[in-house]
Amino acid sequence: MTDRIAPFAGFGLGLRRTHFDDFLSGDVPVDFVEVISENYMVDGGRMLRILDEVREKHPVIIHGVSMSIGSAGGLDADYLARLKQLERRIDPLWVSDHLCWTRTSAHNSHDLLPLPLTGEALDVVCANIDRAQDALGRPMLFENPSSYLTFPQDELTEWEFLAAMAQRTGCYLLLDVNNIFVSARNHGFSEDDYLGGLPLDRVRQIHLAGHTRGETDQDIIIDTHDHDVCDDVWALYAKACAMLAATNVPVATMIERDGNIPPLPELLSELDKARAVSAGALEPA
Amino acid sequence: MEAPMTLADMQKAFMDNVLDEGSAMPAGWGNRHAAGLNVYRGNYRNALVEALRATFLKTGIWAGEAPFKQAAINHVIAYPSDSWTIDDAGAGFDETCRAFFSASPEVAELAWLEWMMLRAFSCPDSQPLSLDQFSLITGEYEEAQWLGLQIALVPDLAGGLVRHDLHAMWKAMEEGAAHPAVSQGEERGILIWREGERPTFQMVSSEEVAVLQSVQAGESFGDICAGLAGGSASPEEGQDAIMRAGGILGRWVQSGLITALHAEQA
Repeated sequence: MTDRIAPFAGFGLGLRRTHFDDFLSGDVPVDFVEVISENYMVDGGRMLRILDEVREKHPVIIHGVSMSIGSAGGLDADYLARLKQLERRIDPLWVSDHLCWTRTSAHNSHDLLPLPLTGEALDVVCANIDRAQDALGRPMLFENPSSYLTFPQDELTEWEFLAAMAQRTGCYLLLDVNNIFVSARNHGFSEDDYLGGLPLDRVRQIHLAGHTRGETDQDIIIDTHDHDVCDDVWALYAKACAMLAATNVPVATMIERDGNIPPLPELLSELDKARAVSAGALEPA
Repeated sequence: MEAPMTLADMQKAFMDNVLDEGSAMPAGWGNRHAAGLNVYRGNYRNALVEALRATFLKTGIWAGEAPFKQAAINHVIAYPSDSWTIDDAGAGFDETCRAFFSASPEVAELAWLEWMMLRAFSCPDSQPLSLDQFSLITGEYEEAQWLGLQIALVPDLAGGLVRHDLHAMWKAMEEGAAHPAVSQGEERGILIWREGERPTFQMVSSEEVAVLQSVQAGESFGDICAGLAGGSASPEEGQDAIMRAGGILGRWVQSGLITALHAEQA
C-alpha cells in the first residue's frame, strides 16, 4: 500500500442531486467535488453515468457514511468490495469516512454513532482502518464526527484518540470545523485544546457546514448541515487555517450542505467566503 | 464486581436503544445520556422515513401525507434496517402498506411498483437488441432453432400480478389530476424495467407475466409455447400458442427488453 497521498489544495463542494444539471452543463468554478460514496456503490444507471461525467471535469473525493470503522464486529465485506469497485472506477483524489460506528451484526443506524474513547475502541478502530486501507491499497482520511453524548468510560480526549489513530495506522484526517464547534458546545471542551492537540500535519481536508441550535444554551446542538456556515464556525475555520499553514502541507476546503440545499450560486458564494477567510488567516497580523 | 462492558456489548445496548426507547440504557447512564440517545433515535427515524418518502413518492401522494408518514414510522420500527445502504429501507414496505391500508389495497400495489422501480434504477447497464438486430439473428432460424431458443432479458426486468389499474393511478398523479376511482378488478400483469436511465412500467396480460417467469426460469421458446398450449395436442391450439408467444416476443423486442438470443437445437 502507498503510505502517502498527494497533497492537494483547493476549494470544493459536495455534489448533490439538485445541482447535477449545473455540474453537467456548465463550468462550475470549484477545484474538486466530493460525493457520498454509498450513493454510487451501485451496479449501473444514471448516478454512475453522472459521476463519470463529473469526474471528467473535476477531481472527485469519495466520502462514506457507512463504513462503520468503529464496529466491534469488524467491517462488512460486501461494503468494502463495493467501495473498492467504486474507487477503481473513479480513481478519486481521496477516500474518506468518519470516526464513528453505524452497525452491529444485526442492524444499521444510518447515523454516525459515537465511540467510547477507550483503548479497546482504539484497537478496534485501528484494526478496521488497517483492513480498509489494505483492501483499497491506499491510505484513507477519517473525519471527526459531531456527537451528542460522551461515555463514562472515556480514557482519551477525541483529539488524543485521533492523533493515536493516525499515528498507528498512517491514515489522514478530515477536519470538520463545524463538528469541532458542535461537539465542543455539547460537551464543554475547548476548541483551542482540540486544534492544538491534533497532528495537524496529517490533515488533508476541511469540512465546513451549518448546524441547528436549540432554543436555549443548554439544548444539544445538532449537526444538520441545513444552514449557512455561522460566524462562530468561520472564526474557528480562520484559526484552523492559520495553524495548518504552519505545517506547510496544502489543505482542501469543502462546504458540506445536505438539507435546505440552496441554488448553486449561493453555495459558490459561500465557497468564495471560505477562500477569503482562508487567505485572510494567512496574512501577516 | 461487575465485569466492564465490552465495546461489542456497549454497541449492542446503544443500537437497541436507538431502535427502541423502551430498551434499557447501559448501567450508570443518566439524563444527559438519555437526551443524547434521543437525538440519535430521532436522526435514525427521520433518515429512514425520509428515505421511504423519497422512494415511495407516488405512494405517499396517493395515501396522503399523514397516513403515509405513520405507515413509514411503523415500518421503520417493525423492520429495523440491516443493510449498509439506506435504499434497502424500502424492502417489504409494500407488505407494511398491505396491513396498514387494508381498506385501500391499491396502496400496497403502488408501493410494490415503486420498490421495483427503485431496484431497476440502479441495476446493471445493458444493451438491448434492436429490431434490426433481432431480425438479422432470427432471419435464418430453422424450426428447431426457434423451439430451442433461449432469451436473455435486461437485468432486473420484473413482472407481477396486480388487481388495480396502476397506470391510470400513476398518470393521474403525474398530471396532478384528481385521483381516479379505483376498484379491485381482474388480475392483470405488469412489467417493470429501466428504459435507458429511467425506470418504467407497462400493464400487460397475466399470460405475459407467466411467459416472463418461464423465460427467467430458463425455459426455451418451445417450452413456453408448449406451456401456453396447455398440453393440448390440437395443431390449431399449438399454432395459436406459438402466435401468442411470438407476439409477446415481438413486443419485448420493441420495448428493448431482450439483450441476447441463444439458439440451441431443441
